Order: sequence, then structure tokens, then C-alpha cells
Amino acid sequence: MKKHIPSVSGSFFGRKWKYLTLQQKLTALFLLTAVIILTVNLYIFLLINEMTGRVEEVYISNVNLNELSGALDRIQDSVEEYLNTKSSDAMEEYYRSEQAYRGLMEGLNTQVTDNEILLTEKNIYGLSESYLELAAGAIQAKRGRNVERYGALYEDAELLYEEIHTFIYSLNNTQFKDNSRNYQVLLSSLRYMELLSVGVLLLVLLGNISLIIVSTRSVTKPLKQLAKAADEVSGGNFDIGQIPVQSMDEVGIVTNTFNEMVENIRNYIEQLRLTMERENQLKERELMMQSHLKDAQLKYLQAQINPHFLFNTLNAGVQLAMMEEAEQTGRFLENVAEFFRYNVRKNDEDATLQEEIRLVDNYVYILNVRFSGEILFSKEIDESLLHVRVPSMILQPLVENSFNYGIRNISWRGRIELSVYQKGKEICISIWDNGAGMEQERTDQVLSGHAGEAEPSGGSNGVGLKNVMERLRLYFQGQAGLQIFSEGKGTGTEVLITVPAEL
Amino acid sequence: MSWKKGAFLLAFFAGMSVCLAVFWYRFHELNGNVEGRNEIYDRHYVMITGREDGDFWDRVYESALAEGKRRGVYVERFGEDLAVEYDRNELLKLAMLASVDGIIVPGDEEEETVALLQEAVEQGIPVVNVLEDSMGSSRQCFVGNNSYNLGQDYGRQILELLAKQEKEGDHVSSENPAKVMVLVDENRTDTSQNLVLLGIRETLENEGEGIPVTVEARPVDNSRSFSSEESIRDIFLNSEMLPDILVCLSAVHTRCAYQAAVDYNQVGTVQMLGYYDSEAILEAVSKNILYSTISLDTEQMGRLCVQALDEYVETGYTNNYMAVDTRLIRAEEAERLVNQE
Repeated sequence: MKKHIPSVSGSFFGRKWKYLTLQQKLTALFLLTAVIILTVNLYIFLLINEMTGRVEEVYISNVNLNELSGALDRIQDSVEEYLNTKSSDAMEEYYRSEQAYRGLMEGLNTQVTDNEILLTEKNIYGLSESYLELAAGAIQAKRGRNVERYGALYEDAELLYEEIHTFIYSLNNTQFKDNSRNYQVLLSSLRYMELLSVGVLLLVLLGNISLIIVSTRSVTKPLKQLAKAADEVSGGNFDIGQIPVQSMDEVGIVTNTFNEMVENIRNYIEQLRLTMERENQLKERELMMQSHLKDAQLKYLQAQINPHFLFNTLNAGVQLAMMEEAEQTGRFLENVAEFFRYNVRKNDEDATLQEEIRLVDNYVYILNVRFSGEILFSKEIDESLLHVRVPSMILQPLVENSFNYGIRNISWRGRIELSVYQKGKEICISIWDNGAGMEQERTDQVLSGHAGEAEPSGGSNGVGLKNVMERLRLYFQGQAGLQIFSEGKGTGTEVLITVPAEL
Repeated sequence: MSWKKGAFLLAFFAGMSVCLAVFWYRFHELNGNVEGRNEIYDRHYVMITGREDGDFWDRVYESALAEGKRRGVYVERFGEDLAVEYDRNELLKLAMLASVDGIIVPGDEEEETVALLQEAVEQGIPVVNVLEDSMGSSRQCFVGNNSYNLGQDYGRQILELLAKQEKEGDHVSSENPAKVMVLVDENRTDTSQNLVLLGIRETLENEGEGIPVTVEARPVDNSRSFSSEESIRDIFLNSEMLPDILVCLSAVHTRCAYQAAVDYNQVGTVQMLGYYDSEAILEAVSKNILYSTISLDTEQMGRLCVQALDEYVETGYTNNYMAVDTRLIRAEEAERLVNQE
């Protein structure tokens, strides 16, 4: 069966989303929320990292100055030691500490700037250069044993050493104040950031929850609709209409299939109902046919004591007449035997018009023997219609009626005419007599079935007009007709049967 | 998912991203402020001032700093934030050892100061004396007022006051001459105070038309902290010593004097002539506690110091003396200035 794929409208992403499978949708949703959370966490982590770096930076300058101060102390000690002892260890220490101090000095600012701290660094740098010069001079003088000079230089160096310490100490204080202020700023930023982080996380959480709710609802809503519809169908209600297909994921496909399944089941049930209805109609017709046939048969059986016995007996009579060379009797008995044989043979099936006409011939012959050739019987038959099939035993009762009620008791010579001809798409079978005729009122009574049944006697074999009418109706499914034409008393009667030329 | 819900969620996350970006930017801006942005200058001048007259020197320094920045020079108030309080000469030495590009310092005639200034000049560091001069040194320039002229201004104010008192019936005679006391800094060794006194005396003599008046120079001890205030209060404690007119030659002396006059209820009894134009002094003038005050143009003073140093550094020459304007402020103008501030 060709699948019906519903079109889904919306934006480009909306359409893409609708064509994703359930697994892809759930994976995309999970990835999206995970990426959002990860990004925000990364963002906060970067902020915290930077903040921590700043806090570290705040105090690093104090640490550097303390190192500078320590290095200066070591130079001064080593100079003093050397001047005191002139030891090579002290000299070595002096060079080492001078090297270290110069290394630290490189970290000091040497540019002229409006930053008070940096400018003090520049001053310390300048003073340190002077100090190192004095110290080197003192050492040089000591080596040259210039007592007076190294003494003076050392004094100057010691004074400057203390002054540099004052500068470093003051700078340390200023930096500490500055750093404390910066630290306060950073601390307040940190608190602000803590609040912001919590706020951002809460907001993102809220956003993610909304995203998940909205997205999962878009996935579960069609499922709920499907479940509700399935519940209805399981309760026997197939008139539920089409469930709208919102996406082409697994749920969409199942919904689509479900819609088709419900439609197919509905169609199947409708077909089943029609078939059963038709079967019921056929069964009903068959039953009615059988019922009427049984009725006719019963009446035959009542009329014929034992057709087989009778017709065997008659055959014996035919043979006897032939032995006695009584031809008339022989023909008569042959006709009678033929008549009863037909009854025995055709009592439960249909017959051709030819067979029906032959029965009428037999019957009329018998009647003429019985009533000394009173009846003038003539036929006008369209030979091409002899094969047309009709219910059996429909012409003979009508001829019998024509005889019994038409010409039996008239004073003039009775005549019966049988004609079979085609008129358009209908085949007409007419039995006409020139007998007693009947009033219109009587005709209507006969046709409406209120007459005839009450008077089956009078030589009739009992298959009445009503029976013939019923069997014609059932056989031709209402397409056959039976009409009686008479212009009143003594004007004769015509019974006209019309049957469709082709069934 | 309907497009409306989708658009709402999209807008929510977009708004969130913008907020986070703005916060990131603000955070870095804040950290940038913590670090500060520093200007770099070509030269480094230092200004060494005494601890006295802080307000006066603050103004001079601000002007010098502004002028320096305009010229690509940074002027440092040397020794201001040090943990140890060094005197001017020690700071001078340190400035030289720190290899600065120029020194602005009030001078005096002390031998040590002159020698240090000389040493600085010999080291190639130009020196400008401000307010007070060290004439014995080879300093490049002196920026200050003409002390003799200042004395003349004070002399004229004294004459004006005496004329006023005469009008009010307070007569003076040779037996009872008007007493003028000039507060001088005991520790100052420059000649400026002497020149001021000379100016006062000569003006009284030449323009006083024989009004009997005595001028006394009263030394105020300035060697220790708070000692000037104590010395000035001593004057007010002894009513015998109280002059008719008190002349103050520094901002600190002026403030101490008028505070003592108020405390000892001598306002009006002693007429006072002040120095400098700080807010408190202007207020005192506007309330007639002080008769008048003479102020120096501090803005001009600071500016000229830097100009002189720059001129010397750039050309090798500069003026030996740059005059700073003075201004006499009376009650009406003081009131206007106070309201203006």
C-alpha cells in the first residue's frame, strides 16, 4: 500500500527538526542542554581563574620588594664582612648578592611615570645604582688599603643603604595600601561574581528546563494523541477522524500507519456489512422460493395421489391400447402420461418455454378428449423464444383458469389462444380466451391476490394465479409482470405475462 | 515545538549571552582600573618643600605638576610618602643620588644647603629655588616674589590702618607710638624676611608723614612641630606685649595668629595683616578678623619653576630670577572669593 507522507510546514529548522528521528531529537536535546551548561560553567570557571590570578598578582609586588630588601641586606652584610675581614668568602658573597640584587633591580621601573609606585621604583633604582657604586668603591679602596677612603665610602654606603631601606619600606607600605584597596575591589567583584554565577546558573537551569519541557512535549504530545485514539479504537469506536501528524519521526510514522490502519478497518467493516446484507437478501429469496415451491408441491401432491404410480399405470394403459389397436385411447393416455411426467420431473426447477407450451398442449388435448373437442386452442409462437427459461408450471394453471372460469360454462364455442412474442426488451406470453370475461373490480381483486385462492376446486390442480405471480416475481426479481385484460362480462379475458428478454 | 516557543527560547538564550558578554567586558574594565593606566614622561623633576605651609605648597606643586605634564615632564613631590621624615637637605642628597633630571627647592643661605645645591649643579642636575633663594649657590633660577616690594605693600596697609584708627579717635603720639609686630621665622636664614622688614620700615618712614610707629620683628620658633603655634599664643597671653598691628609673613603664622585672637577675644584690639589666601584665611578676612591678606600667585609660581628648569635643560640658559605676582585681598574681595569657592 502506498504510504501517505503528510507535509510539515514551518521554518527551515522547524522542518529539519520535524524530520529528525526520535533518537536524534533526544540526542540533540541532550547535547544542546549539555553544551549550554558546559559553556556557562566554562565561562564562570574562566572568570574565577582570572580573578584568582588577580588576587595573586595583588601581593606579588610586596613579595618582590621583600626579596629586594633581603638582597640589599646581603650586599651590605657582605661588604661589611669584607671590610672587616677581607675574606674571599665575603668577597664571593658580595659578588653573588650584587648579581642577585642587579637581577632584582631589572624588575624595577626605570621610566618616568605619573604612577607614584612606579616612580618610587625608579628612585629606588637610581639610589641602588649609587649604592652599588659606593659599595664597589669601598671594596676597591679596601683592596688598595686606602683606609680613609673605604671608611668614608662605607659610611656613605651605609647611610644610603638605610635610606634605600626607607624607600623600600615606604613603597611596600604604599603598595600594601594600594594592594589592599585592589584586594577589596577584587573581593567585592568576587562576591558580585558569586551572586552572578548563582543567578546565571539558575537562569540557565530554568532555560534548560523550559527547553526540555517544550521539546519533550513536542515529542510526547503526538504519543498521547495516539494513545487516546488507540484507546477509542480498542473500545470499538472507529469514527475518530485522522490524528494530525506533526513530525516525521517514529511517532509520526506510527501515527500515519495507525491512521491508515483505522481507515482500512473501517472500509473492511463496511464491505463486510454490504456482503452480509446481500447474502441475507439472497438467502431470504431462496427461502421464499422454496417456501412457494413447497406450497405448490403440496398442492400437487394433494391433487396427484401418486404421480409415479399413475403415470406408470397410464403407460401400461398406452401399451394395452396399442395392443388392442385403439389409437385414440392410446394417444389420450400418452398425453395424460406426458402431463403427469412433467409434473413429476419439473416440480422443483425452472423450464423452457417450449416445455411449458408442450405441457399446455397435453393439457388442452386431455381437456378436448374430456369435453369432446369443445375447446378451440390455437398458438402463435415466436420460435426464437422457445429456449427462454421461466419458472415451471406457470402456463398450464393459467390455461386451466381460462378453461374453468372463461369458457367452460359459456353457450358459444370456447376458444383459447396462446401467443409468445418479443416486444422491445420484454418477452410477452399471452393466454386469451373468448369466455365469460370479468368486471374490472374482479380483475383488481385477482391481481391483488384476494381472489382465486379461496376457490381452488372445480377441476383445477390447485396452482392458483397468486402462486404463479409470486414465483414470477421471485424468479425475475420483480422484473416480470402479470396483467389481466377483460372488457367485462362475456367479453373474454387475456392474461399477459411479461418477462425481461435477458436477465 | 511551535515557532513561538522556539523563538522565545532562542531570545532567552541570546539575551543571556549578551548579558554574559557585557559582564565579561565590565569585569575586564574593572580589572583594568585596578591595574591603572600610566603615562610615560621624558623627564623627572622633583620638588622638595618643607612640611610647613602644606596648603600653600600643595597649590604650587599642583601647578608645577600640571605645567610639567603639559611639557612631557613629571614633577614629583620628593620624600612626601616616605616612612621616615627627612629634612630638606637629606632629601636633596637623595634626589641627587636618585639621578633626577631637575630639582625645585626653597633655598636658604646655610652653608650646607648652598654646598648641596652647588653639588647638584656640578652633577648636571639643574636647580630652581622657589620662594626663598640661595644666592650663594649656582642654582639656575629663583622663582619668587620681590620681598622688598612685599614689605612696601605691608607698610602701606599699616599706614592705611593707622589712618583709619586716627579717624576713629585712637590717636598716636611719640609717647604712645603705634606698635607694629612682624612675625618672622626664626629658622629662616635667607634674606627675604629682612627685605620685607626693610620694605615695611622704609615705607612707614617715607610715606608715614611722621606718624610715630615702632616696628618689632618677633621671631617665631619653627624648629619643632607645633612650636610656631605655641610661640604665637605666648604673644596673646601677655597683653603688655600685644601690638596694635600684627603682620604675619607665612600662612601658618596667619592661621595661628587669627585663631589666637579669636580664642583670647582680641579681635579688633589687634589689627592683623595676613599672608596667603587659603579658604580659612579668606574667611577670616571676610569676617574682618584679619584686616587684609597678601597672597602669592601659587599657580604662576609652580608654572615658572617648571618653565625655568625646562628652559635650562633644553637651551642651557634661563633667567636668574622670575618674579611671581602678589595680590592684596581685602574684606569685600575675600567675601566674593569665599562665595565663589
